[in-house]
Amino acid sequence: MILNQATGIRIDGKKHMSKTTPMHEYLNPRFVYLPLLQQNSPLKRTVDVGATVKIGQTVAVREGFGAMPIHASVSGKVTAIKKVWHASGRMVDAIEIENDQQNALDDAIRPEADPGIFTRTELVQKMQNAGLSGLGGAGFPTYVKYQAKTPIDVVIINAVECEPYITCDYVMIEKYPEKLLKGLKYFMRAADAKRGVICYKNYNVGIAEALKPFLSAYPDITLHPVKDIYPAGWEKYLVQQVTGRSYPNLPAEAGAIVDNSGTAIVFADVVEHNIPLISRAITISGEGVKEPKNFLVPIGTPVKELVALSGGYQDGLDPAKSYYIAGGPMTGRAIMIDELIVNDTLGSVIVKPMPAERNHPACLGCGRCADVCPVFLAPTEIQRAFEMNDKDAVRALNATKCMQCGLCSYVCPSHIEISDFVLRAKELLRK
Amino acid sequence: MARFANAKGPYLRMTDSPSYGTGAIQRDFLIGLLPVILFAFYKNGVQVYLDGNIAFLEMFYPLVFILTGGLMSTLLEALYFVITDKSVRTMKALGKKLAVSYAAIPGLLLAMIMPLYTPVWVLIFGCIAGTLVAKMLFGGFGYNIFNPALIGYIAVAFTLYGVIQNAGGALNASEVLIDAAGGATPLGALVEGEGLTYAALVAPYGNLLDFFVGTIPGALAETSALAILISYVWLVARKVIKWFVPVVFVGTVFVLSWFIGLIAGAEGLWFPLYSILSGGLMFGAVFMATEPVTTPRNPLGKIVFALFLGVFTVLFRFVGDFAEGVATAIVFMNIFTMPIDNWTAIIRSELGGKEVFVKGAPKVKKPVSKALIKGIILAVLILLIALYGVLKAGGMFTASGWIMPLFGRLF
Repeated sequence: MILNQATGIRIDGKKHMSKTTPMHEYLNPRFVYLPLLQQNSPLKRTVDVGATVKIGQTVAVREGFGAMPIHASVSGKVTAIKKVWHASGRMVDAIEIENDQQNALDDAIRPEADPGIFTRTELVQKMQNAGLSGLGGAGFPTYVKYQAKTPIDVVIINAVECEPYITCDYVMIEKYPEKLLKGLKYFMRAADAKRGVICYKNYNVGIAEALKPFLSAYPDITLHPVKDIYPAGWEKYLVQQVTGRSYPNLPAEAGAIVDNSGTAIVFADVVEHNIPLISRAITISGEGVKEPKNFLVPIGTPVKELVALSGGYQDGLDPAKSYYIAGGPMTGRAIMIDELIVNDTLGSVIVKPMPAERNHPACLGCGRCADVCPVFLAPTEIQRAFEMNDKDAVRALNATKCMQCGLCSYVCPSHIEISDFVLRAKELLRK
Repeated sequence: MARFANAKGPYLRMTDSPSYGTGAIQRDFLIGLLPVILFAFYKNGVQVYLDGNIAFLEMFYPLVFILTGGLMSTLLEALYFVITDKSVRTMKALGKKLAVSYAAIPGLLLAMIMPLYTPVWVLIFGCIAGTLVAKMLFGGFGYNIFNPALIGYIAVAFTLYGVIQNAGGALNASEVLIDAAGGATPLGALVEGEGLTYAALVAPYGNLLDFFVGTIPGALAETSALAILISYVWLVARKVIKWFVPVVFVGTVFVLSWFIGLIAGAEGLWFPLYSILSGGLMFGAVFMATEPVTTPRNPLGKIVFALFLGVFTVLFRFVGDFAEGVATAIVFMNIFTMPIDNWTAIIRSELGGKEVFVKGAPKVKKPVSKALIKGIILAVLILLIALYGVLKAGGMFTASGWIMPLFGRLF
C-alpha cells in the first residue's frame, strides 16, 4: 500500500449475469457500419458508395502510426456514409454496408497448407495485413508491439477481464480453447519468445478446465491464475506478476508482450485461414437488460439489435435515470443515445439504473484514493495542483503515470469525481 | 431511440451502497468513542458513587458533560449556518447542512479531554474556539486546517487553566480524598520537577498496570489505555483510521523517552511505559493524530506526520513547561500537513512500483531525483528535532549528566 506492488481491491464482478449463457453467434445483421476511426486516428476510406464488397475486402486504411488496412465484415453493397455513435463518445463517419446475406469471401481468405512454416517477419506482416488490433479495449495495433527492438522472452495472454459484468473473453475461451493456444503459439513465434503465459482470474476455473485437454501439446505454455482484484488485468500488473519486472512505458521494455485472449483467437484464424479482423465478441449485460448475453458479431453491428436479442430493456427502465455504458463500468463511457455500433475495442455494453441520489459531504481527507492507487499517486494533491492551475506541481506529482482505472472515484466515500480531476490535470500538461 | 443519462465514470461506486460513505465513517468513529466514554463514566461516575463519595444523580455527570460538549458544538454550528448561509431558511435545509457537517464530533472530543470539573461555561468557550473559529471560519467540514477539538482545548488551557483548577480540576471526588501527589496528575508531577524516579512519578498513583487500565487521575476520558486500545481495534477493523499512525506516533515517543530515561538515569522500561501511558498520548494518537481532515492523505505522509508528532510531543512535553505535549504537537504539526502531504506524495509517486529493466533494453538516464532530496530533508529534520529533544530533556533531569558538558552551551 505504501510503496510496494499494486494491491488493488476486490470488486463484485457480477459476472454470473452473463457467464453461463452460451455464445450467441449473430453474424448476419442487415446493415453494418464500419467506423472510420481507430484509437484517435481517422481512417482513409478506399471504397465509394455503391461499390460491392466481399468479406475481408479492404474498405479503409489507417495511416501514419499503426498503418494497416480495415476490412469489410459482411458482403454486400456500400449504401452510404453515415454518422454513427462510437464507443469514444463521439459521432463519427461510418461506411454503411447492406448485407446481401451471401457471405461471399474475398480471394485473400484461404486456408494455409502449412501454417507452421512462417518466419517471424512473415507473421508480423500477417498481423498488419489482417488489421489486427488489441481487442481488450485500448485497440493498440498488434503488429507494432511485435516490432519491438528489445528481446522478448514471454508473451502474456490477458484473459483476466477484471472489469465487472464483462464475460465475452471467458465465453470465447470456453468455446475456442484450442484456437487460443494456437494463436498464442503463433504470437510466441512472432516475438521469438520462449514462454507463453495465460493469465486469468483465479475463480474462473472454467478457463483452466477448457484449456487443460490441449495443454499437453504446448509444453512452453503455462496457466497463471491471478488474484480476484481490480485492476488485475492491467498490463503492468500482469507483467509484474509473471516476470517480477516492471517498466516505465511499454511491456517490451521488461521483455514481455501482453495481448488480449480475443486477439489471440483471431490471430489463429489470421495465420491459418487468412481471415482478417472482422468480428469480435461482446457482452450485453447489466441490470437494465432482460437476458444478459454474449455475442459473436461482425464489427459494425448496431448494438440496438443485440439489446433486442437480449430481450430488450428491463420493463419500466427509465433511460433518463440509467447509464448506457460503452465498455466496462469502471473505465467505460456513458453514451447518451443508444445508437451505438460495435467497433474493434467495444467489449461490452452495460445498461444499469443509476443509484439513488444522496447528499454527499466535502472531501474528508481519508486518503483512500491514495491507498488504492495502483501507481501510488495522491489524487487529492493532483486535484489541488490542478485547481491552482500549477503545471509544475502536476508534473512533479507524476500525474502522467495515471492509467485511469477509476479506483479513486470508486472508493471515494464522498462521491467526488476525483479521477476526472486527475484526467483533467493530465490534459493540462498536454496544453 | 432513447436518451440515457450522462455522468462521469466509473459508473460503479462504493457509495452506490447506502451503507458506505463519509457518513458511515463518522458513525463508526462515534461508535469508536463509546468504550472510552463508558470507561470515563465508570471511573468518574459509577466507581465514585460506589465509594459513597457522590450522590446517585451526580454519577451521570461525566456522561452529561460529554454530551453537553457535543450538543453545544452542534448548536453553535447550526447558529453559524443560520446566520451566514442564505440558503438555510427552513429546518429541513438546516438539517441537510448539519447531516454532512458532523458537528457533534469536535464538541464530544473536546469534552472528553477536559478535566472532569471544568465549569460548563468554560466548555462552551472551548466549543466556540473550536467549532466556530477553527472549523466554520475555515470553511466548515473538510476545509479546516487545525483540529477543532484541540484548538478549543488549547484556547481553554492557555487562558482559563486557573479557573478549571479552582473549580475542582481533574481529580474526581474519590481521588481528592486519597490524593497522594498534591492535586497533580502524573504528567503534572513530571513538570513539577521531582526528578525522574519511579517513586515520584508512578508510585503515588499505584503501579503501571493502573496506568494501563486507567484508574489514575487525568482528564475526563483519556486515562485508560485499555479502553482506547479497544477503540483502536474497532476503528482499524472498520477502516476508519490507519493502523500504523498511532503505532508510529506512540512508538516514537516510547523510543525517545527510553533514550531520555537512559541519559537522565531513569533506567529500565518503566519510564518509557510511564511516558506513553500518562497524559493524553494514547487518546491523541488514536483519535486526534488520525483525524482525516487535518492530517496528510497519503499513507507515506501519514507516517512522516506521525514521526514528527512523536518527536514534537517529546520536545513539548519534557522541554516545555506545559504538561501536555500531545495537543500542542498535533496542532503545531497541522500547520505542516499540506507541505508534508505534497512532499510525500511526490516521493511516493516516484518511488512506488520498482522499475527494473531487462538486459539489452535502452537505459533511461534520470537526473538526481527531487523526491530523494525531499526525503532526505524530511528525515534529517525528524532526526535533528528528536536529537535535540532527547539531549535537552535528558540533560534537564540529570545533575551530573555527561551530555551537557560535551555540548556546552549549544542548547
